[in-house]
Amino acid sequence: MIDLTELEHDTISELINIGVGRAASSLSEMVEQPVELTVPRITFVERFSDTDLAKAPTEIVSAVSQTFDGPFKGEAMLVFPEERSLELVRSLLKVDVPLEALTDLEQEALMEVGNIILNACLGSISNVLGEPINCSMPSFRKRESRSLLDQDDASSQTGKKPVLMILHVQFMLRQNDIDGYVLFVMDLDSIQMLRELVRRFLANSLG
Amino acid sequence: MKKTTPTSLDHRTLSGSLNRSDKAAELYAALLDTADTGSLAISQDGAICHWNRWMQNRSDLAPHQVLGKQLVDVFPETKLGRVSQAIEDCLKFGMPAVISPSLNQGALPLKPLPQFAASFDRMEQSIRIHPIKTSNNGTLCSLTIRDVTLAVQRDRLLRQQAAELADLVTQTRRSEGRTRAILQNTIDAILVASDDGNIEPLNARAQELCGPEGDPELRNIIRFLLPDSEHITPSPPPKDRLLTDLGTGVIEVLACTSSGRNIPLEVAISHFSADERYHYIITLRDISQRKRHEMEIQRTMAELERSNSELEQFAYAASHDLQEPLRMVSSYTQLIARRYEGQLDDTADEFIHYAVDGTQRMQRMIDDLLTLSRVGRHGKPFHAVSLQALFDALVTNFKRAGSAPEGNIIREGTLPTITGDASQLLLLFQNLVSNGLKYSDPEDGKVQVFAKETPNSYRVFVADNGIGIEEQYHETIFEVFKRLHGYGDYAGTGIGLAICKKIVDRHGGSLVVTSTPGEGSTFCVEFPKQLPIVAASESM
Repeated sequence: MIDLTELEHDTISELINIGVGRAASSLSEMVEQPVELTVPRITFVERFSDTDLAKAPTEIVSAVSQTFDGPFKGEAMLVFPEERSLELVRSLLKVDVPLEALTDLEQEALMEVGNIILNACLGSISNVLGEPINCSMPSFRKRESRSLLDQDDASSQTGKKPVLMILHVQFMLRQNDIDGYVLFVMDLDSIQMLRELVRRFLANSLG
Repeated sequence: MKKTTPTSLDHRTLSGSLNRSDKAAELYAALLDTADTGSLAISQDGAICHWNRWMQNRSDLAPHQVLGKQLVDVFPETKLGRVSQAIEDCLKFGMPAVISPSLNQGALPLKPLPQFAASFDRMEQSIRIHPIKTSNNGTLCSLTIRDVTLAVQRDRLLRQQAAELADLVTQTRRSEGRTRAILQNTIDAILVASDDGNIEPLNARAQELCGPEGDPELRNIIRFLLPDSEHITPSPPPKDRLLTDLGTGVIEVLACTSSGRNIPLEVAISHFSADERYHYIITLRDISQRKRHEMEIQRTMAELERSNSELEQFAYAASHDLQEPLRMVSSYTQLIARRYEGQLDDTADEFIHYAVDGTQRMQRMIDDLLTLSRVGRHGKPFHAVSLQALFDALVTNFKRAGSAPEGNIIREGTLPTITGDASQLLLLFQNLVSNGLKYSDPEDGKVQVFAKETPNSYRVFVADNGIGIEEQYHETIFEVFKRLHGYGDYAGTGIGLAICKKIVDRHGGSLVVTSTPGEGSTFCVEFPKQLPIVAASESM
């Protein structure tokens, strides 16, 4: 079970918000228009079926995913319903004539956006907690939300039940809000490790 | 350069230690140089430690110009940019990065391949930044750069074409909407029939006529009217539904709507081919209004014909019956004149002379009236009449009667051949010519006859050099008994021009006069080349 104190929860929120803030300013600079990114809430769930995403299991979602490895390991994902991802990319790229699906270039742009946000979150955690994290290159997925977490290679699926840290993220740009999620999929050991590190950090900074 | 002592081949190559004698390192270096992607590496201190041939080619910078330098020194514009940030994150936190061409146009100042130089200042790049751990726990940053200019160009083209397509669709929709609106708001009902006999109403009016509220029989009638098709032989509609004979060109049918209203319709059929099939466009025009007018006209015509024939009957009867007592009066006054002239006093002789003259004038008037009434009643069928021959006869007549000096009837050019009643035409021109001579100087009077052809008619002119007619009388001279001069000045009954007018009318033509008083008058008879229906039917 994940039992975080309020302080621990707030600390993680804070770390995430620092990262997301940095990502937003990078994005603003890149697209030369104000981009605001907020994380209104962070939740921890034990099963994917408990997430908001699982409420529409057949909805097609676009996800940018990066695996990370370090004291705690797992997979970080930026997830949007496909419609929203199209909206986001086109809003960022100021595209006037939308095509029906993401083009290769738009998909790569989305990957970069995901990369910036995920890097910022992971980087912020890693930096503050003083523990290096190794990240993989981002990869792109498009599938029904219910099979979002299915691994492409079946072998790695054996083992531990994942725990999810869900960040609800909201993009605000060009007068429209685009809602998506950042998922941190970790096993129980990793989340315990994360909590342990947070506790240690709190002890150091408070003590 | 790099002072690390790598233990793996990977590291050796990537650290840029190209001058090692190690064969494997040479192999990897060669491989990297032949790769069709840009590859460069940056060491922990930010110095460039690897720069492959691709980078050299696309940046025009040789390895010796860049190795050991900071990226911002080589490319000053990357300072504070996304690439520098990503490299920093990579070196500091080991974060990999994707740098997409859409969000970072021409991230590094590399030149495009010559074929793109016209539309791209820079190569469009897709960059991957990857941390590489070295054996001494340091981090290298590797940049892999792909040239995606072609993809960007394709993407632009795709968007442009998509935009054009969207425009086209919008335009097409708009014009389609317009066409539909025009079709819908047309008063006529328009239907289209394909050669398989399927009839489809195209607009609201057609829907109305062929729909449940309209005439269920109408489709069958239309099918019957369409040119034969091998698939179907439609049964002929009830007789009372076809208002006109087929074959006259104009098709009129009667639609009986469910609401009990009968609507006469004019049917027009045109055709076009599409999809290798024949289609007919059927236009139905509501002609209720026209039909009403036609009936009105028919009634008026019948009325007119009746009163006209009554009038002619009357004129004929009157003049015919008047002749009998007149002949009596005339005979006896002439008898008195012959027997008693010179036996009574001078006054009596004068009276007798007046009486004889009066009866003679009366006789001529009645004769002329009879002629006038006969123009309508006893006309002969129309034939081709050569006016040339007609005038030959006319001149001979005048000569024989001795009523005109030699050479005072002048024909200019050739006269046409027209369709008409030869004896009436002779009478017409005889009247006109003799009129012309009568109102001219008996010594020097000349009548010119000439013709002009217009696209739709022949005009025959009879011009004299006589006293002329004042304009105010140009219309009234054609009325019966209309005389402008006293009987003593110029003889005549005042019926001649009325007869002319009536003959011309019967031939569907027109008779007008132009004149300058004192200089002469020109009468113009215009004969249409195509006889109007009334004249044609009368000529049968």
